[in-house]
Amino acid sequence: MSVEMTAHGTSPRLATAKDYVNLLKPRIMFLVVFTALAGLVAAIGVTGQGINPVLATVSVLAVALGSGAAGALNMWYDADIDAIMTRTASRPIPSGAVPRDEALTMGLIMSAVAVLLMWIASNVLAAGLLALSIAYYGWFYTIILKRRTSQNIVIGGAAGAFPPVIGWAAVTGNAPLDAWILFAIIFVWTPPHFWALSLVAHKEYAKAGVPMLPVTKGAEATRLQILLYTILLAVIGLLPLATGLGGMIYGVAAFGLSAGFLFYAVKLWRSEAGGPDAGADERKLAMSVFGFSILYLFVIFGVLMIEHGFGLHFPLRGF
Amino acid sequence: MADPVPVSAPDETTLRQAQKRRNAWLALALVAFVIIVGVTTAIRIQETDFSGGDRIYFSGYLDEAAKDEANREAEARADALAAEQAAEDAGAQESGDE
Repeated sequence: MSVEMTAHGTSPRLATAKDYVNLLKPRIMFLVVFTALAGLVAAIGVTGQGINPVLATVSVLAVALGSGAAGALNMWYDADIDAIMTRTASRPIPSGAVPRDEALTMGLIMSAVAVLLMWIASNVLAAGLLALSIAYYGWFYTIILKRRTSQNIVIGGAAGAFPPVIGWAAVTGNAPLDAWILFAIIFVWTPPHFWALSLVAHKEYAKAGVPMLPVTKGAEATRLQILLYTILLAVIGLLPLATGLGGMIYGVAAFGLSAGFLFYAVKLWRSEAGGPDAGADERKLAMSVFGFSILYLFVIFGVLMIEHGFGLHFPLRGF
Repeated sequence: MADPVPVSAPDETTLRQAQKRRNAWLALALVAFVIIVGVTTAIRIQETDFSGGDRIYFSGYLDEAAKDEANREAEARADALAAEQAAEDAGAQESGDE
């Protein structure tokens, strides 16, 4: 709750519970929890090692708290540019609901609680990885990268790629190749996902002085980069088949989704999306790529969870 | 164009009510934290094999697989030592019989 005037002159208002929830970036948190859970379930399926259901629940809760903490730290630091962009102006800090200091305090306390809970519920490696991912997003991406380089989202994408590795480590206490393949999928998925959105919102980023790729290199270069990363993602998305992490259902899903993602990426590459002549159709196309990328990740990790969680894992190596 | 509606600061009563609600949520969060830590610790203690040298929160290894490997090696060494000792005892027994 805040009755102080914000630095941007926004009228003060009383914060609601929803403001505090929004401070934690719930949509990102949902994706983070989902991929962490997928890593956890896959680890149980692949290694045969078990984890007490209560400890597994606390571990996933710790990941959720860590994600929320990183989100709060991000909003604390980015309050000035959030106030400039229409898309983010209604966030809790720029809207005057939550004071910046409160967001910072909340982020720091939640970070500590998340890491502590992860440690007592699983092991020091999972807790360490969680601490690293919070610091990576809250400090390295938000403070160091975001306003300095157009590759911010590429390098910073690693922050969002940690959750499945954390979930895996929570079960086994180590992070083998399969866990890092899941990391690589999210890492390579992030640029096309985010750049598709930034093709639509590039004017806002330019206004706020954030050097997103469409702002610094232009729409054409961004569309090409989206296509190249999608091709790379199609290849990396098939790696679980080679190691046996993904089974037949995964194979069908990965081939189908990769073909769909490539179709959209090629269509976007050939369009004028993000350019000066872009119209409503181009905007719609860019948003379709953004939407499809979310579907891609959910299905890929969802299928892995179904295969390993419900005994439906039939490795292709058996054929 | 109409003038914007002036926004007045919330009154004292509203502020206090909001503060009370926030405090109640914080208290609930603290209670939940205590319960989670308690239950988690109880489960960890239950699952820990203290006689095998395990510790609750940190085994001394960052990689649990490395710890397991070290444990297996230690067990193999102990088994080999025991077998060696048994063989020596059997030899001594035989020479004693002679």
